[in-house]
Amino acid sequence: MMSIVEFLFNPWVRGTLGLALIGLIFFSAVITVWLERKFGADIQSRIGPNRVGGRFGLLQLIADAIKLFTKEDLIPAKADKLLFVMAPIVILGSAFMMIVAIPFGAIVIGDKSYPIAATEFDISVLYLEAVSALSVLGIFMAAYGSNNKYSMLAAFRNIARMIGYEVPLGISIIGIAVMVQSLNIVEIAMAQSPLWFIFVQPIGFAVFFISILADMGRLPFDQNEAEEELVAGWGTEYTGMRWGLGLFAEYIHMILGSCLMVLLYLGGWNLPKFITGIFILGAFAPIFWFIAKVVVVVMTIIMIRWALPRFRIDQVVDLGWKVLFPLSILNLIWAVALGLFFGA
Amino acid sequence: MVGVVELITFALISMLTIGFSILVVTARDIVRAALSLVATLVSVAGIYVLLNAQFIGIVQVLVYVGGIGVLILFAVMLTTQELKGDSDVE
Repeated sequence: MMSIVEFLFNPWVRGTLGLALIGLIFFSAVITVWLERKFGADIQSRIGPNRVGGRFGLLQLIADAIKLFTKEDLIPAKADKLLFVMAPIVILGSAFMMIVAIPFGAIVIGDKSYPIAATEFDISVLYLEAVSALSVLGIFMAAYGSNNKYSMLAAFRNIARMIGYEVPLGISIIGIAVMVQSLNIVEIAMAQSPLWFIFVQPIGFAVFFISILADMGRLPFDQNEAEEELVAGWGTEYTGMRWGLGLFAEYIHMILGSCLMVLLYLGGWNLPKFITGIFILGAFAPIFWFIAKVVVVVMTIIMIRWALPRFRIDQVVDLGWKVLFPLSILNLIWAVALGLFFGA
Repeated sequence: MVGVVELITFALISMLTIGFSILVVTARDIVRAALSLVATLVSVAGIYVLLNAQFIGIVQVLVYVGGIGVLILFAVMLTTQELKGDSDVE
């Protein structure tokens, strides 16, 4: 039994697993793109991609990727070249820095569970909050660098939205931190062993869900890319793989945001003892359970995209400051009251 | 060995900090100056993490980059600066 633990903590094994995980994240972003096209088509009674790779268009993704890689790489003549080139890297970097702190399930051996995370530190939730806010800088760099009015408008809207929604997002996370008395995301996930926090703090979950949708820039909050008004938002002047990096970042951000939602509110990887007690199941069942929940959240987000119309930017800012912010304060009071009542 | 790695990392981060902070005052473009300021603040966060003060490092990123940096950029965007030299859009 001990040797397995030692094997898992071998730096070479961990390094290889980490590389595989990064590959998997990219691959899951690709799958999400496919899911968005096919599943979205189903919702709207269309057929969706069906030419490349059989009835389900499975090879469409590869065709898309080849298209992105082989397109001409254009940099506008009047662009600020340094900012223009660096911007997609900053956007993708912000999404990738989040991977460090997120545990993707756990391996349960006996009574102990070993989370599959690169690091485990005491303030990982704060870290996630901090680095996910960096992407707004990348979007600003892209917009200013490409010297285009549509892009600048998109950056304006993006920053106005981010300022409005980071606050309720943070406060709803504080509600959880108060309840668990920790900012360590592994401890928060483990604390939901019998009771998920969505049942304890339903208001907090609603605020968190809406805020993280806005944070990810998903419809109904994608005013910064509104195709009908702003061409393609910050990506108007981008072509080929530079644009593709931004697209990847968007989808990776969406997947990681869903992971965060599962970890904070939907119970993480916790399974009852009689399942994880069996050795083989303990090694695999928590991971599958975690991934299944993430898939459900991702599909919900996609369904919301294809079902709802886009808000106007003033409505979005109003919603953030006038509705979500007071609600998140209310949730914080609720969490503190519960903690005082039950003695936490 | 660990000390050497730490020294090299410190040298790199402090050079980044100094370089970016010089850029803040010498950059001709106000947006580049603002972005250099943000980069300086990120590098300072790196120094904090190197000193084992992870909490301060992360709060530095959260407050100065996510909050103040974005506010400065917002203010810069509100200044009446023309898109540089693009006569087509006028």
